[in-house]
Amino acid sequence: MASVTLSEAEKVYIVHGVQEDLRVDGRGCEDYRSVEVETDVVSNTSGSARVKLGHTDILVGVKAEMGTPKLEKPNEGYLEFFVDCSANATPEFEGRGGDDLGTEIANTLYRIFNNKCSVDLKSLCINPREHCWVLYVDVLLLECGGNLFDAISIAVKAALFNTRIPRVRVLEDEEGSKDIELSDDPYDCIRLSVENVPCIVTLCKIGYRHVVDATLQEEACSLASLLVSVTSKGVVTCMRKVGKGSLDPESIFEMMETSKRVGKVLHNSLQSILHKEESLGPKRQKVGFLG
Amino acid sequence: MAGLELLSDQGYRVDGRRAGELRKIQARMGVFAQADGSAYIEQGNTKALAVVYGPHEIRGSRARALPDRALVNCQYSSATFSTGERKRRPHGDRKSCEMGLQLRQTFEAAILTQLHPRSQIDIYVQVLQADGGTYAACVNAATLAVLDAGIPMRDFVCACSAGFVDGTALADLSHVEEAAGGPQLALALLPASGQIALLEMDSRLHEDHLDQVLEAAAQAARDVHTLLDRVVRQHVREATISLGD
Amino acid sequence: MLKSKTFLKKTRAGGVMKIVREHYLRDDIGCGAPGCMACGGAHEGPVLESQPQDPASSLCPWPHYLMPDTNVLLHQIDVLEDPAIRNVIVLQTVLQEVRNRSAPVYKRIRDVTNNQEKHFYTFTNEHHRETYVEQKQGENANDRNDRAIRVAAKWYNEHLKKMSAENQLQVIFITNDRKNKEKAVEEGIPAFTCEEYVKSLTANPELIDRLACLSEEGNEIESGKIIFSEHLPLSKLQQGIKSGTYLQGTFRASRENYLEATVWIHGDTEENKEILLQGLKHLNRAIHEDIVAVELLSKSQWVAPSSVVLHDEGQNEDVEKEEERERMLKAAVNEKMLKPTGRVVGIIKRNWRPYCGMLSKSDIKESRRHLFTPADRRIPRIRIETRQASTLEGRRIIVAIDGWPRNSRYPNGHFVKNLGEVGEKETETEVLLLEHDVPHQPFSQAVLSFLPKMPWSITEKDMKNREDLRHLCVCSVDPPGCTDIDDALHCRELENGNLEVGVHIADVSHFIRPGNALDQESARRGTTVYLCEKRIDMVPELLSSNLCSLRCNVDRLAFSCIWEMNHSAEILKTRFTKSVINSRASLTYAEAQMKIDSATMNDAITTSLRRLNKLAKILKKGRIEKGALTLSSPEVRFHMDSETHDPIDLQTKELRETNSMVEEFMLLANISVAKKIHEEFSEHALLRKHPAPPPSNYEILVKAAKSKNLEIKTDTAKSLAESLDRAESPTFPYLNTLLRILATRCMMQAVYFCSGMDNDFHHYGLASPIYTHFTSPIRRYADIIVHRLLAVAIGADCTYPDLTDKHKLADICKNLNFRHKMAQYAQRASVAFHTQLFFKSKGIVSEEAYILFVRKNAIVVLIPKYGLEGTVFFEEKDRPKPRLIYDDEVPSLKIEDTVFHIFDKVKVKIMLDSSNLQHQKIRMSLIEPQIPGIGIPTDISNTDLDEPERKPLR
Repeated sequence: MASVTLSEAEKVYIVHGVQEDLRVDGRGCEDYRSVEVETDVVSNTSGSARVKLGHTDILVGVKAEMGTPKLEKPNEGYLEFFVDCSANATPEFEGRGGDDLGTEIANTLYRIFNNKCSVDLKSLCINPREHCWVLYVDVLLLECGGNLFDAISIAVKAALFNTRIPRVRVLEDEEGSKDIELSDDPYDCIRLSVENVPCIVTLCKIGYRHVVDATLQEEACSLASLLVSVTSKGVVTCMRKVGKGSLDPESIFEMMETSKRVGKVLHNSLQSILHKEESLGPKRQKVGFLG
Repeated sequence: MAGLELLSDQGYRVDGRRAGELRKIQARMGVFAQADGSAYIEQGNTKALAVVYGPHEIRGSRARALPDRALVNCQYSSATFSTGERKRRPHGDRKSCEMGLQLRQTFEAAILTQLHPRSQIDIYVQVLQADGGTYAACVNAATLAVLDAGIPMRDFVCACSAGFVDGTALADLSHVEEAAGGPQLALALLPASGQIALLEMDSRLHEDHLDQVLEAAAQAARDVHTLLDRVVRQHVREATISLGD
Repeated sequence: MLKSKTFLKKTRAGGVMKIVREHYLRDDIGCGAPGCMACGGAHEGPVLESQPQDPASSLCPWPHYLMPDTNVLLHQIDVLEDPAIRNVIVLQTVLQEVRNRSAPVYKRIRDVTNNQEKHFYTFTNEHHRETYVEQKQGENANDRNDRAIRVAAKWYNEHLKKMSAENQLQVIFITNDRKNKEKAVEEGIPAFTCEEYVKSLTANPELIDRLACLSEEGNEIESGKIIFSEHLPLSKLQQGIKSGTYLQGTFRASRENYLEATVWIHGDTEENKEILLQGLKHLNRAIHEDIVAVELLSKSQWVAPSSVVLHDEGQNEDVEKEEERERMLKAAVNEKMLKPTGRVVGIIKRNWRPYCGMLSKSDIKESRRHLFTPADRRIPRIRIETRQASTLEGRRIIVAIDGWPRNSRYPNGHFVKNLGEVGEKETETEVLLLEHDVPHQPFSQAVLSFLPKMPWSITEKDMKNREDLRHLCVCSVDPPGCTDIDDALHCRELENGNLEVGVHIADVSHFIRPGNALDQESARRGTTVYLCEKRIDMVPELLSSNLCSLRCNVDRLAFSCIWEMNHSAEILKTRFTKSVINSRASLTYAEAQMKIDSATMNDAITTSLRRLNKLAKILKKGRIEKGALTLSSPEVRFHMDSETHDPIDLQTKELRETNSMVEEFMLLANISVAKKIHEEFSEHALLRKHPAPPPSNYEILVKAAKSKNLEIKTDTAKSLAESLDRAESPTFPYLNTLLRILATRCMMQAVYFCSGMDNDFHHYGLASPIYTHFTSPIRRYADIIVHRLLAVAIGADCTYPDLTDKHKLADICKNLNFRHKMAQYAQRASVAFHTQLFFKSKGIVSEEAYILFVRKNAIVVLIPKYGLEGTVFFEEKDRPKPRLIYDDEVPSLKIEDTVFHIFDKVKVKIMLDSSNLQHQKIRMSLIEPQIPGIGIPTDISNTDLDEPERKPLR
């Protein structure tokens, strides 16, 4: 259920609530719902994470594969994004039904990662012009309960944090032919720094105010929203206005400020969850979908 | 390098199981709130989610409606990261379409479709990780999801695969065992009646051995049934307790 | 309990893939010690002894089990196979590593494990809850495995202690890895090196010799000079081969000159298929049959093959360079016949096997190091260490090579087995079997376990798809003393006046099911090998001489080929069926002949035989008209002394009508079956072909006939057969036989092949467009495959994947062709040895002989009386060379004033030459016509020929 239809009365109830900083589920305008994050849920990926934000349920798998660097950036590896809006979420997505939404989200992800500081792409290079790591970041949308972009960006960040890329050595002989040697120690791997990986904070304009982490019902009441990608230091890497309504410039600045503030808190709590999980080491009981 | 030894002289398989042993099965019903029924199953490293919507009105063209029974619509999809080598697309390829069709056949045989004429039941299965026996895992997950949705069925549908190595039938093949290229058999069983809802065999196997392999698969499917039954009872118990509050 | 195992794998495309496999840990794996309460009844198969009565070890006098690590298993398998070593725990970790590293050793260890006597127990430690270890951070796979082995050893010791404290049963860890041993000792595991342990077995000193001497430090220091250049690592070699700097090929040492070898380059595009190697340094420690990488030398360094015969006979090991160089130079002064010359830069694959030979005892009395001289001249001498040199002297022994360090003139090896006294019949038989790679060990337990249980009878299930033909009057005709009867015949008149002829072949494929150990072993052996007084069975005796042998008056399973024929032997109908028969009589050729010939006998068997004989004659005539060849080879049979089993007389084999009668029907059956299976399986029928020889092969025959004013036409098989028939000389009755012998030598070798891999099916000798082997499944594996194919074709049996895989079939054919060739060689060697024994007892004999070939410096003669062939040389080491003039055109050889032509009658003296103990031979020298200055050595040799369906000597 990517969207719901509401009656006029329901909408008025929600809008008035927001006006009073009291949302239907009791939250304030700048409060997130509780986020559940678990990493390393799919063992045959290089990194994976599952994020549950209310009823929104996202699974991200990252696979590292060897490829050739892009011509214009011979010293860098690159990321590829793919979003699968599965029919699990709603029957509307059956067949090719989810493709449009999937492409939209994937493009947004490309955009927020399209800067030098998000991920250190140079560390993904194995030998210039010939071999590099390509990280396939595959997002699977399993259930949809509003605020997809934020949930997906959190999941992507968590999955990248979890990603372990095998360390390889390039052997070169006199004739210049190269061979790639793999370490036989499974612990010998590279980790990505996710310090600067941004998260998206979506602000929904409802009435005269804006809220973060809107539910499906709240999204139905909003005409326009602003999508801001913020790093943990509060740097905005990308911004986009979505929705059919319009926004006045003043509120955009206001919303940006909010997103920076909220974004920092969000990053902080995400980091602490990830580090806590990491400290448990391999002995952590994996819950996945069984819990 | 010698090839893999699928069954050692001591009778152990590559992963340490004996010939007739299943992989570890864990399952949960009611994973999602928005769907009418949902379930998740792990059979070893094969992990699948199933979601059921319906019975509801026919979506799309009315002409698809069946006057005497419900339309069972299945989609199989497998996450791009589910396999060893990344898949290009999650569904829509030939294998997925075929799987969808097989699931549909299986569940048309099991669901009491005549109770819901002119309506549609959607079963969507999603493989999150594939390590052999995906069909079986999907069927088992879908059974739980259909039960979770409260749609009447004749019986559980329990599925399991089986193979044949050196004169011994192996139950519940893992990916390595499937990849070795021997004969494979996929069986979906209605355990109470012992009826077969779906049977498929790949590669060649002499008919003299079919009995043995079939029996191994059937026994494994019955073992699966015991486990699924336990999961359903547990789920119902929890549901009634929470209702009781 | 579940453990997941993750590892990375490189994919073929060069990518890296993360693979996750489940790994279950169990608590129901037994320790293999009987009476262990903790493990309950979890043991199966062969287990350890509860009170191991092992030979006393001075290091650990308590009862104990042994636990070797991977390298010990790989390198010291000879020791482990010794009956003195028992109660060994083989870990799964070790077994898997062995499996990946050496298939032959893996097979050997499995055979040992299956032997109940040895009490070897395979412990599945990787799946045991308490012995599984996970790879730690910073630990490589080898270290992990070493740790896994130590953990298992420790677990065992604690486990056994729990079982019974007063028992003091221990597990001793055997490793040659110093570090690993130290760690084990630290962890409280009793550990020894293999050498320490073996040396401590005071009751079995002979075991020490079987230890492989690995180049451990300290062992080789005394001759510190580096003689050879280093071998390049495999990766470098492969790159070099890819880029063309190096060439890959099979190393073939020269039989005549130990300083010379050739390398056959693999691949067909190569122009210079053969590369010459000269000098020890260039040979660089390669050994015959190794796959090596060679580097071509610059053209200025190319040399010509020397024609010098050089045997490595120097008694002193270290007299090297000087002498060699001298000899080398001599060889290099040759004309312009330079060949591409190269040097070995690395070894791609060693093809070492255990070698037979004799010990050349060191001159130094107390020395433990001795040189071993292999029987095969192409193998270098091997240095071994032994304390039993004086007992081994004059004996045939087996030695295995362990390695060849850079500073050693000879490879190092270790003693494996003492075969026995030189010249003893058993010893020599063993040697010739080993040297011809004839598998002749007793069948292993695993193989025997697939035999039917006795008493055996035909059950209802056996009768499925089978016709009951017990009412037919079937009989078999074979050579006397034959116990593996694989064919029987019948013939009866049908109501419509036609004749029904049946060929019934033992249904071996009923007992040997595809893929099991019995099948694999038979496939490996490929053929039964008949030596003069010994038979090396392809299948266990229970099958070959009992259940499959179509003996008389017992019900036997058969595969029948039944024709309906009219009286002029035209086939009207052919059918095949699996059947049950009950043979009325097992006859010898002579008995059958007698029945046919004696007018008074008119019983059912006799009439049947007469009919068969009549048909056979017609069939044969038809075949000959089509151009089938009847060739001749002198077949000899030894009359053995019943007491000593020494040959007391030689007799050439007699051929009766009945021989040819049986032969005719076997041919017919083979051809019918070949047609049927090819019709059904055009891509994967196993057939046999005999290619037509290239015309140049016939040159010698045509020339020889011309010298006697006869014309031999060789354009077709038919004209050859006819011209051979016409080539008679009233004054020289033996001439025709001689010509046929010569013709035989011109022929090609017949081979098995897979129909999908070839398009020339023709069998030249039999003049048949298609042919296969169906009629002797007891002694030939090819026939078993053909039986299976035919059974599937008629729906009597099920197929299996390998049967319809043409590459697998081609591999089988390759092995069968090799085994058949080797069996023939072994058979010839056996005849040669018995001939030697015969002449040893006879002393010096003079006999008439005919010249078969004329060579540049010798004549090859045939002695009809013994069917014996030998070479008479006219040059001798110590005497002045006689004047020899060789004329290639005639051909003729003029020695001083006497001219020799092909087919000339001469008289020769035959005697045994025992001057070289290892290579005894028959010497022949000319008596008539007399030439001044003669008395010369000889060699026995026969050339290949493929007999059509004729029973070998039994």
